[in-house]
Amino acid sequence: MLELVNFYLLPGLVLGAIYAMSATGLSLVYGVMRFAHFAHGDLMAFGAYAALAAVDALGISPWAAIPIAAAATVPVALAADALFYARLRRSLPAVLLISSFGTGLMIRAGLYFVFGPTQTGYGMGFTPPLVLGALRIQVRHLWIIAGAAVAALALHLLLTRSRAGRAMRAMADDPDLARITGVDVAQVIRLTWAVAAVLVAIAGVFLGIDTQLTPGMGFNVLLASFAAAILGGIGRPWGGALGGLLLGMAEELSSFPLIGGAPLLEPAYKTGVAFAVLVLTLILRPQGLFRGM
Amino acid sequence: MALLEVRGVVGGYGEADILHGVDLDADAGEIVVIVGANGAGKSTLMKAVAGLVRIRAGSIAFAGEAIANAPAETMILRGLAYVPQERNVFPSLTVEENLAMGAYARPAQAAAGMARVFALFPDLVQRRRVAAGQLSGGQRQMVAIGRALMLEPRLIMLDEPTAGLSPKFCALIFERVQAIAREGVAVLMVEQNARPALAIADRGVVLAMGRNRATAPGPALLADPEIGRLFLGG
Amino acid sequence: MDAALYAATLLTLAAIYAAFSLGLNLQWGLTGLMNFGGLAFVAAGAYTAALLTAAPSGTHVGGFGLPWWLAWPAGALAAALLALPVGAVSLRVRTDYLAIATIGIAEIVRLAVRNEDWLTGGPLGITGIPRPFEGLGQPWGQLAYLGLACAAVAGLYALAEATARSPFGRALRAVRDDEEAAKAVGKNPARLRVQAFVLGAAFMGLGGAMMAAFFKFMSPEALEPVTVTFLVWVMLIAGGSGNNRGAVLGAVAVWAVWAATDWLAAQLPGELATRAAYVRLFLIGLALQLILIARPQGLIGERIGTQR
Ligand SMILES: Nc1ncnc2c1ncn2[C@@H]1O[C@H](COP(=O)(O)OP(=O)(O)OP(=O)(O)O)[C@@H](O)[C@H]1O
Ligand SMILES: [Mg+2]
Repeated sequence: MLELVNFYLLPGLVLGAIYAMSATGLSLVYGVMRFAHFAHGDLMAFGAYAALAAVDALGISPWAAIPIAAAATVPVALAADALFYARLRRSLPAVLLISSFGTGLMIRAGLYFVFGPTQTGYGMGFTPPLVLGALRIQVRHLWIIAGAAVAALALHLLLTRSRAGRAMRAMADDPDLARITGVDVAQVIRLTWAVAAVLVAIAGVFLGIDTQLTPGMGFNVLLASFAAAILGGIGRPWGGALGGLLLGMAEELSSFPLIGGAPLLEPAYKTGVAFAVLVLTLILRPQGLFRGM
Repeated sequence: MALLEVRGVVGGYGEADILHGVDLDADAGEIVVIVGANGAGKSTLMKAVAGLVRIRAGSIAFAGEAIANAPAETMILRGLAYVPQERNVFPSLTVEENLAMGAYARPAQAAAGMARVFALFPDLVQRRRVAAGQLSGGQRQMVAIGRALMLEPRLIMLDEPTAGLSPKFCALIFERVQAIAREGVAVLMVEQNARPALAIADRGVVLAMGRNRATAPGPALLADPEIGRLFLGG
Repeated sequence: MDAALYAATLLTLAAIYAAFSLGLNLQWGLTGLMNFGGLAFVAAGAYTAALLTAAPSGTHVGGFGLPWWLAWPAGALAAALLALPVGAVSLRVRTDYLAIATIGIAEIVRLAVRNEDWLTGGPLGITGIPRPFEGLGQPWGQLAYLGLACAAVAGLYALAEATARSPFGRALRAVRDDEEAAKAVGKNPARLRVQAFVLGAAFMGLGGAMMAAFFKFMSPEALEPVTVTFLVWVMLIAGGSGNNRGAVLGAVAVWAVWAATDWLAAQLPGELATRAAYVRLFLIGLALQLILIARPQGLIGERIGTQR
């Protein structure tokens, strides 16, 4: 039982927190701009590597590099929007999706070019886990969960208490009506990119802290992020957060040796969980848990 | 010169024109009611004034300023508010947040605006924290009208505010519309409930296939037998 | 002689890409379905044909030593069978979910190819896949294979054209351009979409079978999302989606650029060569963006039916 908590549930919560942050941004972008942003994972990788550059250059810890990663990722998202997506705003959502696929490839190529294809890490070294009774928790896991909770709270306050956040939700509900009330659509779109980029950059640093960095790391979590967003109800940021948590847990639990010592699912197929969740959602509840758009 | 002057407006969605030269006037404190068959272009005319549909010819002047094809998001600051026919509230926002969106362009006036709207529609007070998508049709209409009134517009356009409402709610809405006009606001209203609407209209406009068919004081239109037969269902 | 061989190799690969691109055109160009998992269907076709034609081996099931003309259609069929459930599930809901689901299926297939050694040989792959006409020796064997590949693509092209012009193709375009209107005249959009999706996947499967025979060797390395999925998108968009001639032309043109830059990069010394490959990746992404913005209809736009 404790093994379940220590080695499956807690790591699942950590992975879930990372997915949740990514899926929340994805859902925000979908809600406001109505297209599936396929470069989202690559933005995440960009954030992770921006932190790596800061860690290497300044000798700071990756935690301290988070603001730098976020600040570096926002302009990338804004530039992609200004250079590409803004010019395609009148096209079909599918065209924007294809364009974002191209953006993702460009970001990935840039990371490969600068950092090379090999796995790296932030070089944090080994720290013994905290022991709380029978619970053993990695300190970095605690920080990641706490960080995600803070990010969620900040996002909640932004969306519900600020004028700009309300405008974002209004745009997601009905863009024409938002314009009638005087909302500057271009400004809300920029804000949405900024928020999504900050969230996904933090998620990238967390993922790099929890595992490793490769230029393809973002593409690998893209499917999970979408599955989480759709599970939660696409366009609904809170749904995306919940979907991310559930999916992270499901992925870790999938390798739990429930029956006779063999894992439920071969760990090599962990990514398959995201796909299974996606397919089951589409069959059983296509609008997602929180009635997406 | 009238507050709103629409002259010879031609326009529509994409290639095909829906409006083929429409004229319209609305003055402060006046209730102007537009009636016409389904598809006559009533909603399109309102969208053109609101800046959501491009016009190819003609002019639209508001308070003496040309506003044709100005961006929709600039209209509210000119004092021109608009309540679309459908989808006129933000369903996932609460009543209060919907009203706050009405004051988006001038947040400083939000508190005063909300107090006025709650005085006009006391039913909404209890439901201020309910998501607008969960309200009944009548309450939703009140939220939509309230939202449009938040910044004390000089002209409010209401597209079928009583569609699908019970007679009780219709009477309430018409009564509030008169109250709004008495404060000096110009009210431009499209109505399918043509008879009760024309009864309170200072001016009635009959639109047919994107053209003006008749314009006269509301009661006069009601009395016209041909208009009655063609547009008001007998 | 070397130059002739090199040219034959390039052209054969261009023909294989043309098969992928024609398949994607049926899905995206004609029907508006976004398939970002072309890799999955290519893999299904390639491995099926490889297993059926290769000599028996101790490291994986089969091979069965069957002739190519049996194995290639079987490859197409395998891809179609894989596409059927994917399309049926995701197309019931809405089209942009298909893009995500196809990424998922491609990932699963990639994992399976790597991990199911008994079936695919795992990382070691399947060796000794016979290539039709290789008995003719160099260069005639290569040239004959090129001829076969071109004939296969010509067949696919003819089939794609016939489809586009048939009532079925008209129905697909109708669904793509205005789903509601198509429903109103009694079309069943979900079923039409699944049919188009499956047919396009079969094209990709056949291309995969041709690829396995050409390489004579199939391993996970041959299945990179960038080269098998993304490049095909660039080809179709550049050539002109909705137009089968555009699909073929785009495949040849983009492949020529891809191969030429590959050659150029290879002339650079060591480290620079790998870096140049990333520059090329960046540029291909940029090229896609520029085409979407400046010339969304591609080199040749859609000929039949309405403009989008
Ligand atoms: N978004 C749109 N795109 C294209 N055509 C439209 C659009 N909205 C309306 N139309 C067409 O424009 C014409 C006029 O529509 P409009 O909504 O102005 O009519 P209306 O007089 O308001 O009718 P109703 O009483 O049904 O509301 C109709 O033929 C309609 O089909
Ligand atoms: Mg109307």
